[in-house]
Amino acid sequence: MTPEWGWLVVWGTVVGLDLVSVGQFMLARPLVAGTVAGAILGDPLAGGTVGAILELFALDVLPIGGVRYPDYGVGAVAAAATAAGAPGALGTGLAVCAGLVVAYVGEWMMFLIRQANTRDVRRHRDALDAGTPGAVTAFHLRGLARDVARSAALTVGGLALAWAVYRWPPIAEVRGAVLVGIVVIGAGLGAATAGVLRAVGQTVTVRWFGLGLIVGVIWTLSQ
Amino acid sequence: MTRGLGASWLRTFLLQASFNYDRMVGVGWAWAVEPLLRGLPGGRDGKAYRAAMRRAVRFFNAHPYLAGMAVGAVARAERDGLPADQVERLRHALVGPLGSVGDKLIWAGAMPAAVGLGLLVAAQISPVAGAVVFLLGYNAVHLTLRWWALREGWRRGKDVSRALTAKGIKRGMRVLGPIGALLVGLAIPVLGGWLARDYVLETKLSIALVGALGVAFAQWILPAFRGLRFGLVAAAVALLVGWLS
Repeated sequence: MTPEWGWLVVWGTVVGLDLVSVGQFMLARPLVAGTVAGAILGDPLAGGTVGAILELFALDVLPIGGVRYPDYGVGAVAAAATAAGAPGALGTGLAVCAGLVVAYVGEWMMFLIRQANTRDVRRHRDALDAGTPGAVTAFHLRGLARDVARSAALTVGGLALAWAVYRWPPIAEVRGAVLVGIVVIGAGLGAATAGVLRAVGQTVTVRWFGLGLIVGVIWTLSQ
Repeated sequence: MTRGLGASWLRTFLLQASFNYDRMVGVGWAWAVEPLLRGLPGGRDGKAYRAAMRRAVRFFNAHPYLAGMAVGAVARAERDGLPADQVERLRHALVGPLGSVGDKLIWAGAMPAAVGLGLLVAAQISPVAGAVVFLLGYNAVHLTLRWWALREGWRRGKDVSRALTAKGIKRGMRVLGPIGALLVGLAIPVLGGWLARDYVLETKLSIALVGALGVAFAQWILPAFRGLRFGLVAAAVALLVGWLS
């Protein structure tokens, strides 16, 4: 374990907290989380690439109301740790797979801590209903502590997965790794498109999306 | 500046830390409004403070960036000595509008616009530049909105609903959605082209085919099987096929 991996644990914990509990400065967006994680490991391009692919998946999420959603930020940290230093396309696909798994586990862990907070609020109902400032602060800080623990545990688990995937034999087997890379890029592009269509599908805004797609395709083909 | 306003503003950044299915962000909201309630007659030991805290700790939910508007407005109403039932009604009345305006302005407007711009810059210049442009652009809106919301709430008190129909908010809701949709629409093919830059034409077509399949599943075949779930299963199938072949 190198010092860089220690910094990754710190960064992943910060990213996990930024998702909901602290600030929502969007450090948890995969493009940001992955690029910084890649930079920590000396390979911002690899981190940014997997972050950009996971960002496409994140565009499928509309975080309204009390909905819970995948933790793509910590997923991007794990994906960057998998991809950094791996040769090009060989690392990208498997790294994004690792990121998706971590994001899914993160969503499930978020549900668990919200349930724990709910049990806590019921247990301390009388003190909270009395409006005692000490009880309010203590309850709130316990919720924060739970999310610190969740974010740190998810990051450590994600980095363990990254370590295992990086050393997994198929990463050196070109055909399988490239195929996975193709599939995750395609699935990401599909997720982003479907996500936007779901959000704006029945409104006039869909025309702007369509216009953007057409111009983007022409732009890409012209290059 | 009013004493407690800065502390309340900082506390709104942790509003959702104790999110739960019973009161949603109610307790976090009470924690955020508490510094502004200290100025009630009698201070922290006064009856007014304790009664206001009892009301504050109940159910509340809103967009996190605009929840500060309710913090400011309710604290002002308490300071102005409004009857308890009116304070309650004000607090409840703000839940829906603050949620819907925030969702439209941020999650369906500023967010996709900033992400689309960030991805375009990432593909055209570098991922580092993309991440920086995204963070700066998004947080310029985010931080301004948070401070404006709290200030407006505190300034207007029970008449805070006028702030939500202000020209700037209306215009933002009208233009940010289309801008976001346009930029994300642009970014998807441009980013796809950048990610597939080293592949041959057949491979690029395969990527487009997987993308089209993903859209078809999400839109028509099995809507629950979209995004992350589609990606996980598709990647698992690809791993298996690649391994076996």
